[in-house]
Amino acid sequence: MTIIPYLIYLLLVALHVVILKDVTTIYTVPLNLSAFLVLAVTLYKDDMTAIWFGFFAGLVMAAGGPPSQLGWQALVMASLALVGCYVRVRLNLDSLKAKLIFVLGGIFLHNLSVLIISRTDGFLFYVVSYAITGAIYTTVIAWFFFMIKEKRITAARVKALF
Amino acid sequence: MKWISNLVSGYIRTFHFAVICLLALGLVFGGSQVTGVVSGVTVTVFYYPFSLLKNTVLNLVGVAEENKRLQLTLREATLQLTRLQEIERENERLHGILNFEPPPGHILLQARVLSVSGTTTPVSAVINRGERDSVRIDMPIINEQGLIGRVVSVFENVAKIQLLTDPTHRLAARVATSREMGIVKYRSREGMILDNLPIQGTIEISDQILSSGLGGIYPAGLVVGTVRTVERLEEEPFCRVTIDPAANFNSLEELFVLREHQP
Repeated sequence: MTIIPYLIYLLLVALHVVILKDVTTIYTVPLNLSAFLVLAVTLYKDDMTAIWFGFFAGLVMAAGGPPSQLGWQALVMASLALVGCYVRVRLNLDSLKAKLIFVLGGIFLHNLSVLIISRTDGFLFYVVSYAITGAIYTTVIAWFFFMIKEKRITAARVKALF
Repeated sequence: MKWISNLVSGYIRTFHFAVICLLALGLVFGGSQVTGVVSGVTVTVFYYPFSLLKNTVLNLVGVAEENKRLQLTLREATLQLTRLQEIERENERLHGILNFEPPPGHILLQARVLSVSGTTTPVSAVINRGERDSVRIDMPIINEQGLIGRVVSVFENVAKIQLLTDPTHRLAARVATSREMGIVKYRSREGMILDNLPIQGTIEISDQILSSGLGGIYPAGLVVGTVRTVERLEEEPFCRVTIDPAANFNSLEELFVLREHQP
């Protein structure tokens, strides 16, 4: 297993946290790129890789935040990867719809966990305005990702539209 | 055999997750020193390059915006400077006019030049004073520098003036110091000249030339110009005298119609 692609993914997480987060946030709804990357790795790679990647992605994602949340965030992300592995083994995730539901559920769980860790006031409000909407927004982006990965959207097809 | 493989891989997965849990709990309960080191290393390795990039880009954007703002300020300042310089020039000109006093027995009627005509040098001009302002034909026109010309036609609201630089214009003049007399003309090649001054007449460079008062149009003592060159040729009965006009005929703006004072 070469670690270079995973280092690149971690750099992508850092890039998102430092630069792209403000750009990709619509009103107060953020794109949860780190959780999506963990779920994508879970879908396409083996369990150990996914769990360790989840751990490090959690560290990178939380490094800019309060130090007290660092361990919890890493643990939550690794747990997300573990749950993802269980789900992947037990369910058939070949179809695009199944993958999207998997991503939607995973992102929602992660957003919910982040809310619990950060002990935010107005929990229910944030469940709606952050956890659910953020999960839907990230799933839309995931849809594009899967379409491109499965070659349903290609440069030739896009060119053909115009 | 498959169930054994599944069991082993399940154990390995659980083992790895247990290690991760230990690490994470170590971070949670390890105190601020451990989390500080881990987050410091992570930030340095993963965040720092992007943070640097972001700051550089923001700085560049800031510099570009600052540059745009400064250019705008510079343009506004240049416009304001031009306006202030124009006001200063006008101020100087008006100060000169304020100190200017008419010849005895005359009053001044201020006029503004509306248009100037002439090919190489201006020969006539139109002013914004006419019959309504009691302007009459042959009234002299002056400014704070000296004699300009005379009124040649008058309309209701405007009047046309013939300038000293018109080649058909003639003016009886005298040298201020020696009181020698001659006729001021304008020739396109030589410029303004003093003609008909006898060769034995006393005249020097820089002597002032004034109107003589003869001829009935211009009162005596109005400044016409200063002597630039004097040539005395033995075969000719008159001196060749060229004059620098006192007034600048290329920048006529504020003029005065000289009217006789009638008590």
